[in-house]
Amino acid sequence: MSVFKSLQINASGLSLERLKMDIISTNIANVNTTRAENGEAYRKKIVVFSENLEKEINRISGVTKKVSSGVKVDGIEEDESEFRIVYDPTHPDADENGYVQLPNVNIVDEMVSLINTQRAYEANVTCLNANKAILKKALDISKG
Amino acid sequence: MEINKVGLSSIKPVNTKTNNETETDFKAIMNEQLNKLNNKQVEADNYVNDLISGNDVDLHQVMIATEEARLSLELAVQIRNKIVEAYKELNNMQL
Repeated sequence: MSVFKSLQINASGLSLERLKMDIISTNIANVNTTRAENGEAYRKKIVVFSENLEKEINRISGVTKKVSSGVKVDGIEEDESEFRIVYDPTHPDADENGYVQLPNVNIVDEMVSLINTQRAYEANVTCLNANKAILKKALDISKG
Repeated sequence: MEINKVGLSSIKPVNTKTNNETETDFKAIMNEQLNKLNNKQVEADNYVNDLISGNDVDLHQVMIATEEARLSLELAVQIRNKIVEAYKELNNMQL
C-alpha cells in the first residue's frame, strides 16, 4: 500500500459526491421539465455506485488478494416511478383530457439528498485532512 | 510515488570494502527517488495547469496532487537533512 493511497481513497469519495451533487442539481433544475429526450417528461436520475476492489500483490508473500480502494461509479440510472399528473389544459404538453405529466422529481427529497451529499463531502474532506495530518506528523519523527 | 519501496529490501548491508557496486547503488536509489519526486511535482503542475486552462479536472484532485507533491518534497528534505547530518558527523570526527 503506497503512502498516498489513503488520500486517493478519499479522492474517489470526493469525486462521487461531486457527481451526485451534479445529478441532484440536474434533478432540481428539471423539476418542471415536460420535454425530455424521449418526448416524455423528465425522469429523476440516480447515481449507482459500488465499492472499488483492486487486486493487490503482497510484496513479501506474493499473494494476490482483492483490496478495497474507495468507491467507483457504475452509472447513472433513471427512476422508473410514476410521473406526477396535473390538470392543466392550457399547457402545451397537455393530453386530450387536459392532464400534463410532470417529472417524478420530489423537490423535498432532492433537498434532503443535497444535504446528505454535502455532509458526505465534508466527511471525506475531514478524513483526508486527518490522513494528511498523520503524514505530516510522520515527517516530524526525524526532527529534533 | 511509492516511497515505501525504499524499505529494507533496497538497503544493502554496508560492505567493509568500498567497491563500486555499493556506490552506484546508493546513487541509483537517490536518482530514482528524486525522479519520482520530480514526477509528483510535474503531475501537480499539470493538474494546476489543467484547472486554470478550464479543462475537466476536479478541484479536489488538484488540491490532493499539490498536497502529495508538497509532502513528497518535505520527505525529500528530511532525508537530505539526515544525509547532511551524517556527513557532518563524519567530518567532525577527530582522528
